[in-house]
Amino acid sequence: MRSGDFKETYGELVALTDSRPVQAWSLALVAALVVAPYLLNSYALSFLTIILITAVGALGLNILTGYTGLISLGHVGFLVTGAYAYAVTVSKYGMPPVVGFLAAGIVPGLASLVVGAPSLRLKGLYLAITTLAFSFIINSVILEARPLTNGARGISVQRPEIFGVSFDSDAAFTHLCLGFAIATLFATLNIRRSRVGRAFVAIRDNDTAARVMGINLHAYKLFAFVTSAFITGIAGALYGIYLSFVSVEGFPFLLSIEALAILIVGGLGSALGAVLGTILIVLLPEATRLLLSLFSSQMDSLFSTGAQELKSMLYGLVIILFLRFQPRGLVGAWHDIRRLWVNWPLRY
Amino acid sequence: MIKYLATASLLLAGAYLSSGQAIAADPGITDSEILIGDVEPLTGPPALLGVAASLGHKIAIAEANAAGGINGRKIKYVLEDDGYVTARTIQDARKIIDVDKVFAMLGMSGSGQSIAVMPVLEKAGIPTVIDVAPVKFLWEPPRKNVFVVGQSYEEGIMHLVTYLADKNPGKKWGLMTQDDDYGITVRDGFDAIVKARKLNVVYSGNYKKGQQDFSSDMLQLKESGAEVFLAGGIIGENVAMMKELEKLGIKPVVGIFWPGRIEPVLKLMGPAGDGIFAVDYVEPFAGPAGKAFLEKAKGLLPETEMRGINRYTMTGYAAAKVLIAAIGRCGKEPTWACTIGELEKTRNVETGVMAPVSFGPGVRFSNQKLQIMQAEFSTLSFKPVN
Amino acid sequence: MLYLVQLLISGLAVGAIYGLIAMGFAVIYKSTGLVNFAQGEMTMITAYIAWTISTTVSGNVFVVAIGALLAAILLGLVIERLVMRPMLGEPVFATVMVTIGLAVILRSSINFIWDAYPHGLDLGVGRGILHLGGIGVRTGQIAVIAALLLLLAAVWGFFRYSKFGIAMRAVAADDRTALLMGISATRVHAIAWAASSVIAGIAGVFFAISYDLSPAMFQLGLKAFPATILGGLDAVLGSGLGGLLIGITENLAGGYLGSGMKEIAGFVMIIVVLMIRPFGIFGERDIERV
Repeated sequence: MRSGDFKETYGELVALTDSRPVQAWSLALVAALVVAPYLLNSYALSFLTIILITAVGALGLNILTGYTGLISLGHVGFLVTGAYAYAVTVSKYGMPPVVGFLAAGIVPGLASLVVGAPSLRLKGLYLAITTLAFSFIINSVILEARPLTNGARGISVQRPEIFGVSFDSDAAFTHLCLGFAIATLFATLNIRRSRVGRAFVAIRDNDTAARVMGINLHAYKLFAFVTSAFITGIAGALYGIYLSFVSVEGFPFLLSIEALAILIVGGLGSALGAVLGTILIVLLPEATRLLLSLFSSQMDSLFSTGAQELKSMLYGLVIILFLRFQPRGLVGAWHDIRRLWVNWPLRY
Repeated sequence: MIKYLATASLLLAGAYLSSGQAIAADPGITDSEILIGDVEPLTGPPALLGVAASLGHKIAIAEANAAGGINGRKIKYVLEDDGYVTARTIQDARKIIDVDKVFAMLGMSGSGQSIAVMPVLEKAGIPTVIDVAPVKFLWEPPRKNVFVVGQSYEEGIMHLVTYLADKNPGKKWGLMTQDDDYGITVRDGFDAIVKARKLNVVYSGNYKKGQQDFSSDMLQLKESGAEVFLAGGIIGENVAMMKELEKLGIKPVVGIFWPGRIEPVLKLMGPAGDGIFAVDYVEPFAGPAGKAFLEKAKGLLPETEMRGINRYTMTGYAAAKVLIAAIGRCGKEPTWACTIGELEKTRNVETGVMAPVSFGPGVRFSNQKLQIMQAEFSTLSFKPVN
Repeated sequence: MLYLVQLLISGLAVGAIYGLIAMGFAVIYKSTGLVNFAQGEMTMITAYIAWTISTTVSGNVFVVAIGALLAAILLGLVIERLVMRPMLGEPVFATVMVTIGLAVILRSSINFIWDAYPHGLDLGVGRGILHLGGIGVRTGQIAVIAALLLLLAAVWGFFRYSKFGIAMRAVAADDRTALLMGISATRVHAIAWAASSVIAGIAGVFFAISYDLSPAMFQLGLKAFPATILGGLDAVLGSGLGGLLIGITENLAGGYLGSGMKEIAGFVMIIVVLMIRPFGIFGERDIERV
């Protein structure tokens, strides 16, 4: 336990962290991530890229569900809207990628106003199903708006070239995603520390009390929707670029459930939870595959059609067991470890 | 210290060199093995397509291995599951190419997935033969290392619609397609013949993927008075449509497309499915070629796997045979360049399950011959029509 | 006119299936306060078990029905005891996530234990077609509508008059007080899960008879969610009626507006309804204390 760390200026009060070790380790992590694309093989690099893109999306959902407590089952709708906004502006109309990314944020933001407005009076699961309904409606709108979106044909997307720097190679694209992920993380942490963030958390904890304290529920809920959709839209654009093809098919409903799983397994209500949850959920299928490959000789001789399903079953089982033993998620586990580290050999 | 280090590294290098790792120019070949990779959906509902295709590859590989392998090397099959999710197809393809380091690829999951994975395959330059979902994007423009065995969806539909138009002149037409890229190819093929033959289309419906209840759509079809109907669903959708038509008491002439041309579909449709037409480029299982193929499979696959066989097994088998033959023609030390060259030189290779396969300089598409079949409920099979 | 009636009947038939699954959702929510994301998968498993019974033991309707009923009860009890009981007292989100994990396991177990091919459930009944005044109806469709109405009446009576039904309502209202009154909350939860599984199983078997049995059947659960919301999460009767409403709306939209509108018609309707009544048509407003 540290003592004697006095804050003498407002700058120090508001800083994200004042601890030298934390700053040093964070810089080391960023440096490692910057160097990683040159050291990893293409397969591991694809995992890193997916983790970074998913982290951006998860942080977006975290603002809505983790901070403000509004459960959204339809976030994949914003993901696909962002992807299409980027694809249409860049591939169809030939605008520069920066405009594409802005559109990828703004268009879902506007869409979220449409989603958020009816949802203002709704709570809990009713809100969740309404967002689910909207994600299906958005899918239908995209499929019907053929002149703009090519309907079910989809739009093909190239890797972007921003300010003369080409992000065509895998390493460069991973750096782009890394940049977005770091920016999003900082944005999220800043929102959390600001007045807006405090209002969000108040709404989550007890919205009637928040109203009594003078927080304009409607305005802040809509703001949460817009911010969340903006960030998720950018994640969608990155995902579309990664797949090099944007279509409704590539953004199945499963992604919404996965995003929720990431937040809950990571620990609801914290940005760290969103990031840790992303790493776990994205790497889990690979981990189960490695586990099963230990038994590969038996598998080969067994070779039943359904043997592959064991991976998925293991996936579900890991989630259930994890939540059974650590319902506060990975963040809870991290806090336990930290407490253990600080207090050992004492219990508390 | 340095002495020890030098000795140790020399020993290690020696061990590595002598471990049988052939210092081949291209990956995937050792002194005793050739690796062939594939990515298919093995879990979830699309598994009946992916598993069947992988079975076809396995049959061809087992057949080749039983005959001594390719010039003395046994073939090892590296299969990954993508669960029909595009991002996973890309990841698994990268894994197979960079981590498992295979010599050649087969497959490649559904149409959307194979389109998405093209950049990865092109960049790697690995010889690839695609057999599961032949769509125009895969060979137009032709890519140096990617070969497609089969026939395009548009061509297939055009063949079927032309046949039905010839046999049913002057009748009213109805069409139902899925609202995704598969449905679009069906619609494109259909529209091409509608324009050419000036067909009278009275009903044109579009359903979202996953729809299971077609009562209102078939009612609209009945109201429109259509007499010939092209059912563009896959499996469950076609079954539901046929049963609705049976319930409504109308029996138009019906055509279905090959992704749903599997025998369990006939069982599900019941008598309502008797006499429906289908188009395909592989032999029907009820014919002599199909029966011979099943006999061959019985000897090479365990009993439990036999029930997973459907038309995709035949397409997989053919593609694998073509690939194995091409690698074989490259002699003792096959390379990627040689394999691609030999694939290009493929002329009239007999596979026993479809018309002979040929490619050519700049031609990466085998343009298989199509045949029309008709379903026979009493035998639960598709019989060729002539 | 005939067109409209035919659409209504088809809509009622498919809506009855949605309604049954929605009732299952509502029963669990009413008794435990949880949303069960694995409802569609439970429907699917019971239907597959019924199919296995019909192909291996006997194709007789009654044998299969009893067998499926027992299997459904067992499934519900096992899930409650093994998966949900340990999560008692944990935060709601974690418990809901556990049901999602359960859904993944159940879904993949279908391919593992059975296979990926679609099958037909042939019980010798339900396939026959009746032609009533120019409209075609399958006997299975009439049966499922009748089953829903019967179940609605039974559930209403159960919750109103039977001691156990009142106990369930008590646990739903406030489980601590119910415990003080001597009601065993765990027993109520177990019965709720078993009942929900049975209702879902009935829906699954009827769906398999009218359509087919395939690993994609779990998508029904997704369709039934809007039905529950429409009726009100804690209103079992309302959920059943909500299912019927969704089925009718879907078919009417498909019949008059075109097949593109069919899927989203139900969703649009619930958004409109929720704007007017935020807790569903029959749901009760949550009273929050500050």
